[in-house]
Amino acid sequence: MKQYAYYPGCSLESLATSYNLSTLEVAQKLGVDLKEIKDWNCCGATAYFPVDELLAHTLVARNLALAEKDGLSDFVAPCSACYKNAYFTNSYLKKDADLAEHINYALEADGLHVNGTMKIRHLIEVFIEDVGLDEIEKKITHPLKGLRVAPYYGCQLLRPRKDHENVENPQFFENLLSALGAESLDYPSKTRCCGGSLIVTNRKAALDMVQILLQDAVNRKADVIATTCPMCNVNLEVYQNQVNREFGTQYSIPVMYFTQLMGVALGIKPGKLGIGKELVSGEPVLAFAY
Amino acid sequence: MNTKIMMIDDDPDFVAGIKSILEKADYSVNVAYNPKDGFQALQAEHYDLLLLDIMMGRGAEGVALARKIRKDPKLKEMPVLIITGIREQIAFLFPGQAVHPHFVETDELVEKPVEPKFLLEKVSALLRLAEEKKSKVQE
Amino acid sequence: MDTELSFNDEIANVMYATHGNPIKDCLQCGTCSGTCPAVEFMDHTPRVIIGLIRAGYKDEVLASNTFWSCASCYHCSVRCPAGIDIADMMYALKRYSMWKGQHQEGLIGPVFSESFVKMIVNSGRSFEPLLAPTYIFKNGPQGLVQEAQTATGLMLKGRMPLLPKKIKGLKKFQNMVRRIIPIGEPS
Repeated sequence: MKQYAYYPGCSLESLATSYNLSTLEVAQKLGVDLKEIKDWNCCGATAYFPVDELLAHTLVARNLALAEKDGLSDFVAPCSACYKNAYFTNSYLKKDADLAEHINYALEADGLHVNGTMKIRHLIEVFIEDVGLDEIEKKITHPLKGLRVAPYYGCQLLRPRKDHENVENPQFFENLLSALGAESLDYPSKTRCCGGSLIVTNRKAALDMVQILLQDAVNRKADVIATTCPMCNVNLEVYQNQVNREFGTQYSIPVMYFTQLMGVALGIKPGKLGIGKELVSGEPVLAFAY
Repeated sequence: MNTKIMMIDDDPDFVAGIKSILEKADYSVNVAYNPKDGFQALQAEHYDLLLLDIMMGRGAEGVALARKIRKDPKLKEMPVLIITGIREQIAFLFPGQAVHPHFVETDELVEKPVEPKFLLEKVSALLRLAEEKKSKVQE
Repeated sequence: MDTELSFNDEIANVMYATHGNPIKDCLQCGTCSGTCPAVEFMDHTPRVIIGLIRAGYKDEVLASNTFWSCASCYHCSVRCPAGIDIADMMYALKRYSMWKGQHQEGLIGPVFSESFVKMIVNSGRSFEPLLAPTYIFKNGPQGLVQEAQTATGLMLKGRMPLLPKKIKGLKKFQNMVRRIIPIGEPS
């Protein structure tokens, strides 16, 4: 059976442990064989580029090289920032021979070599493309009937890739949620930015951006916001309290990883999906499945 | 014959200063502000010496360029003086010395800012060294 | 080649390698500014920044918080009718200002980038609690209380590791980094 090189990324070891747990559980249930890349390093998110872009690509290339060394051809990241970085470094390696040569010179010091031949995808793409919505639907034991979900794509899952199905109004997340039996909402902010690392570097701006996303979900009477990225999830969930303090609002809307919703619908026990680790309880969501 | 120097550096103010110092000392100086144009210029014409910056474009591209020069049979004998502000720019990563990469046959590294007198000494020393090497080969 | 370099060309050089020289294609249509979710927090909109670059206003550009307010969401980049990767230009400006050591005072962005990259070069992994002090330092006592409350909540939920992780092959990893950036031994 096909194996996938799995790159969890740093957040999934700390703030987003529930994303990692639910990813592994759901993948197992769906027969997607994820093999974690050995001794991977941080991809740098957005922080390398202001210092040295060559270094940024080299550090990402090391992870690609480790995956290639395992003889695997599919690279999967659950974090949108990790995914975007891997996707672009991989494509630059193919396009820019000078860059590839220089990066390989550096990798040689680590006993590695990169070809840029991996197929790079986000986890949600692998579930939809390789497992397929029909197959997922067949395995649903606890459909999320009546659950109103705001599908939040965020940014880097879609951008700046331009060959993606539809950058402005994608539908694949909605389709997945429908397959789970949930009611997927028309969520106008679905591709609007959550602020990303501005939550650290410009707190006021980020809280403002998060507030817009929360209000939009409330306007649509969403029961939960579903995310595909640990950064989005943290900004929307962990900082909901600070948004309330800043704007005098009373938001208390659960934010869950799409893998957690998949897991619930697939009948996996909530504890195994990391449900219970939220600061804004995800408990109300479970009532729809059980 | 006039000694020809190529300078590849992305900082126009620094370039203007160094260029005028060298020209006053009767060197002929040509300038490229990015590694791509610089490499093209080096291939188009012979230069006696290269002054090379490190942090340019996406990052430490000067290193990549120096490696490319070393691989080029026509260029690898050309003496290179690396003039860099790398410690000021990004040394927070490793707070040590700027390491001399030693990518080409005859090269030396100095850090910005550079005293005019010191610069001229380094330039003539490197030119002399390259000349000696060449005559040794001819013998 | 041998003529004085305009500020426009300087910035083009910082981004040329992967993306061509795109700023000159700007139509000044303002799609970027209308798209940007952080525009309210910028002292110049993205469109104005491009205009200032082309007109050679180096000091005004370097003094602005615009590029440090960019969240890298790439919405402008995919919408630009002239095909300019504006988010990438913001990275180029960040780089330019980091290397020159010239940016608006009090910004957290440059400090954050510096500590983040430093952390990764020293351990191979990122560790969120290490980043917090940078933020707290800049935001004073009130920030500290809020941050501590959040951190305690996360700790109780098992989402805050107590120890930073390190990759196993750290020494070789650092040698790899040194081949890209020729800076000396760690002291």
